Amino acid sequence: MTLFLQFFLTGIVTGSFLILATIGFSFTRRVEGFLNIAHAELLGVSAFTTWGLNVLLGWHVVAAAIAGIVFTAFLGLAIGRIVYDPIRRLGPSVLLITSVGVAYAIGGTVDALVGTGIRTLDIPLATSYRFAGLRITDYQMIVVAFAVIATGALALFLNKTSMGLAIRAISANPELAASRGIDVKSTSRITWLISSGLAGLAGVMLAVVATLSTDIAFHQILQILAVAILAGLGSLYAVIAAGLIVGVAMDVSVFWIPAGYRPLIAFAVVILVLLFRPEGLAGRKSR
Amino acid sequence: MTAFKKRLCGMTALVAVAATAMPSVAAADTTIGVLVPLTGELGEFGKIVADAVELGVTQINEAGGTSCGMLRTVIADTGGSPEQAIREATNMIDSEGAVAILGPTSGEMVALVDLAKRKKIVVMSPYAGTITLNEIGGDYVYRTVSSDLGDGAASGLWLTDRGYSSVAFLVQNEESTISPAQVARETLADAGITLTDYVVYNPGQPSYQAELISVISNNPDAIYLAGGQESGITVIKEAAVAGFEGDWLLTADLAVPEVFDAIDPPILNGKAFVELAEPDNSLPAYKAFAELMKKSAGKDPGPFAANSYDMVMLAALALEASEGCTGEALNSAIRDVSEGGTSVASFADAKEMLAAGTDIDFEGASGPLTMDKSGTPAGSYQIMRAEDGAWVAEKFYPASEFQ
Repeated sequence: MTLFLQFFLTGIVTGSFLILATIGFSFTRRVEGFLNIAHAELLGVSAFTTWGLNVLLGWHVVAAAIAGIVFTAFLGLAIGRIVYDPIRRLGPSVLLITSVGVAYAIGGTVDALVGTGIRTLDIPLATSYRFAGLRITDYQMIVVAFAVIATGALALFLNKTSMGLAIRAISANPELAASRGIDVKSTSRITWLISSGLAGLAGVMLAVVATLSTDIAFHQILQILAVAILAGLGSLYAVIAAGLIVGVAMDVSVFWIPAGYRPLIAFAVVILVLLFRPEGLAGRKSR
Repeated sequence: MTAFKKRLCGMTALVAVAATAMPSVAAADTTIGVLVPLTGELGEFGKIVADAVELGVTQINEAGGTSCGMLRTVIADTGGSPEQAIREATNMIDSEGAVAILGPTSGEMVALVDLAKRKKIVVMSPYAGTITLNEIGGDYVYRTVSSDLGDGAASGLWLTDRGYSSVAFLVQNEESTISPAQVARETLADAGITLTDYVVYNPGQPSYQAELISVISNNPDAIYLAGGQESGITVIKEAAVAGFEGDWLLTADLAVPEVFDAIDPPILNGKAFVELAEPDNSLPAYKAFAELMKKSAGKDPGPFAANSYDMVMLAALALEASEGCTGEALNSAIRDVSEGGTSVASFADAKEMLAAGTDIDFEGASGPLTMDKSGTPAGSYQIMRAEDGAWVAEKFYPASEFQ
């Protein structure tokens, strides 16, 4: 039983990382109206910026992480304004295909700047703690904590601030919101900053727990898509539920079936849920 | 617009000057394509291969080149992608006129087999151990490294020799890691060693905790980890944090010094071993190559450097011995120069012997290159031990151990 619970606990951590990786992606989809495939590459930008500042320039990891997140947020904003804004009128399909090109451009730039091989942050080895026979590391707890903080902060922002309410209005009906005097451009910019900043936070978590290679960020896109599709491509709360479901399902499945099938489990869960609830966990009307 | 024109004229002049200053391509009559992963996880290996091939080409051209003229190389990055390898190889053959393509990895070699046979161009790899080539290699498709089956046999032999009573296997979900793991697993079963877990995992994950839970709970004497650098480093760190104190046997991808930058050396020192195909470094040909490498690059040869150097030597000697300057001619002569004649280790000597009509058996820095019907030579293997933050030699298994 302890072994099974250990798989479950690991699944919570995996799910928390997936929430962090997906929440910005889902937020972009909700407000900007398209699937930004380049979102995963922003994780890599943040991870390698943090690594560069921490390892090459000797910054403390916290300062490096903050700088990495801020840089990624503004890079995402710049890409949004320079690449996506001019072609927005062409519709979500063109934006999606363009985002694939942006993903390759970012990935290629990271490849060229970072080079080959593997990279790790200059941080101590994780410390393992035991609770009721279950093992969890300090870095895993940090991932879970940031998933809670990020989703909570985003929910508060969207529900309690005027900018958050403006973003929700734009996502519900852009024409109506604009006609009521909401500044569409500034809400779009804030959206890019927030979603890219969240990708930056996920990238920092990736750098903390994983070994970095230049293609690791893009490896996350399939699971991000799985969580986003399961969530219904719109709701913040559904992303939390979907992330946890996919994370726990993937890790707990290892208790019964070979670990090589973990990605298959992620999509099997998505297919199963969509069979009964085609609109995803969020439901058609939920935002 | 005027400024733009001035800049354009300036650039044109610069290019013209640069073109006249560059060595004449016309002087190099035969093109060798160097197709390696220069980016991505295997980029470190790709650079080692490309550098060693360039060193070989320099030596060949300094010795007067081949009967097909001087050699020149065109280098392309595959990024570890078989699709990109096919695109770049096609370009090398059709646009650059390459007669041989050297350096692809396992997956890329398999992807290139059809192209090689269709275009009648030799492809050769210094590190593609995949057992798929045991079935489809041998005509236009060669390698200067032994099959993964040999890696698996060497790993199994080492784990048995160490006297472990229980071993767990963690194997990256790729053909190049699964093949040797299966051979090692059979060796352990024959020796009566308990296999506590056999976990095949997918790379590219932030964490491998789920894969490690069962492995750690069974507390084996050693873990055999057949994985890449990205996954391998994370697995080792997470196992250490989870309290695993047994030994490790790692595969060749982790036989790089960067491992000690990523993992605190005390985690590995005395407990981690790595197995890799390695030439017998007591051979005079290897010593001569190592000295040459040190002189030209200022460092010792990296993994597969000797195999890469031999690869281009073999291609050049096949051109020298053949009656044409095409991939087809090269393919027809490659076995003639690597078996059944007078043993020779340097290109210059071999060239002279060929001119004198002597049948040669080229044995390079990596050892004998006599190939079986799949175009694969027998291999020797080295076990390295982690000590004071570096890999040091632990045990050498000559090719005769596996015959």
